[in-house]
Amino acid sequence: MIEVKNLKKHFGSNEVLKGINQHISKGEVVAIIGPSGSGKSTFLRCLNQLEETTEGEIYVDGELINTPKADINKIRRKMGMVFQQFNLFPHLSVKKNVTLAPVMLKTMTKEEADKRAIDLLKKVGLEDKAEAYPNSLSGGQKQRVAIARALAMDPEIMLFDEPTSALDPEMVGEVLDVIKELAESGMTMVIVTHEMGFAREVASRVLFIDQGVVMEEGTPSEIFENPKNERTKLFLSKVL
Amino acid sequence: MNPDLFLQLDFSSWYANVRNQFIRCFIENDRYKLLVNGIGVTIKVSLVALLFGLIIGMIIAMCNLSKKKPIRAIGLVYTDIIRGTPSVTQLMIIYFVVFASINISKWFIAAIAFGINSGAYVSEIIRAGILSIDHGQTEAGRSLGLGSFQTMRKIVLPQALKNIFPALCNEFIVLIKETAIVGYIGLMDIQKAGDFIKSATYLPFMPLIATAIIYYVLIKLLNLGLKKIENALRKSDVRSTR
Repeated sequence: MIEVKNLKKHFGSNEVLKGINQHISKGEVVAIIGPSGSGKSTFLRCLNQLEETTEGEIYVDGELINTPKADINKIRRKMGMVFQQFNLFPHLSVKKNVTLAPVMLKTMTKEEADKRAIDLLKKVGLEDKAEAYPNSLSGGQKQRVAIARALAMDPEIMLFDEPTSALDPEMVGEVLDVIKELAESGMTMVIVTHEMGFAREVASRVLFIDQGVVMEEGTPSEIFENPKNERTKLFLSKVL
Repeated sequence: MNPDLFLQLDFSSWYANVRNQFIRCFIENDRYKLLVNGIGVTIKVSLVALLFGLIIGMIIAMCNLSKKKPIRAIGLVYTDIIRGTPSVTQLMIIYFVVFASINISKWFIAAIAFGINSGAYVSEIIRAGILSIDHGQTEAGRSLGLGSFQTMRKIVLPQALKNIFPALCNEFIVLIKETAIVGYIGLMDIQKAGDFIKSATYLPFMPLIATAIIYYVLIKLLNLGLKKIENALRKSDVRSTR
């Protein structure tokens, strides 16, 4: 579903990604862990081209996406994204946040989108907040709305960029529950996270990224119980 | 002489004098009509100039925020020239040079001139407003598959406009007062009407004070209206339903 070949990314003279090769198949839940500044968020943001790539190729459903010829807006509709800082639209009600893209991009009529929005808000447990404005919500509620908003475009892939890092500890659980449910429904997902317990429980594969390369990858039990790479061991010893 | 009588005499002569001045300035030859018509001219020029200013300001702001250097240069040169020259000079150049041989109503030419002038200032306000919106908003819009123009129109601009609304009101008020120079191209606005009455009667006090009062009341009314709009815009800020 996603094929990444020799992906490199420079910010000026700073080389953040130094050649990443990955294949992500349909239905996989890939958790990306690693120290701060290792390039894991950059990697995720390259996948939907919020970051331009310096070198290498990214294919989504067999289509090369990091080229000016690609219709990036169309490709992004297949990939929902959830941000660390939620990035809800504060001037729109919760329901409007969810319906904005499907209505503007004409993938649904307004009535269909409204109905779908209520269904999605039910799914994340916030149907009673449909008419509220984002500023009146707690962090956990905001992030659940953000997930519903991303799902409204019926994406094939969901990208999560540290979805719980900006939350108060008591709100982490409610967001992780929603993501977990989504994983169980068979959605293809790539999750950058610092929640090791969560990665272990939900992921089908774990990538440990450090210094711009994938240092180690494997099933959660391989990575967490039996890490081979020295850096992985060092990192896990600090966070577990 | 009885001091009471003195006061009384003085007051009645003062009153007679004021009354006489008032009649000469405003009633004689229906001079008040000059001021009333002047209000119409001022409002007409200001409103249309505001509209042009917003359109031009938006375009120039987009130029200034463009990733392409030549387009940024257009915006830069525009603001540089307009802000670097007096508006009265611009007005006269546009009337006597640019539109010299074209037959359009004077007030419309004035509106264009003030629109061009105001656009330079409005563009900077809009640019600041757009930059004040967190880049995450744009990213969220783009990640949903919206194009950059759609994201700007539906997500960034509505928030930016709310933030810069007070500054835009300020600019509009400045614009109204700025139009007091349209007399230079022979338009009879409020200021010119007051000035005309002053010259015709040799009485400066009444017409000039009247001019000031009219401008003040106009802007006061405008302020009240704008405040209402601003409050409506602030709707989504209310933190109520937690």
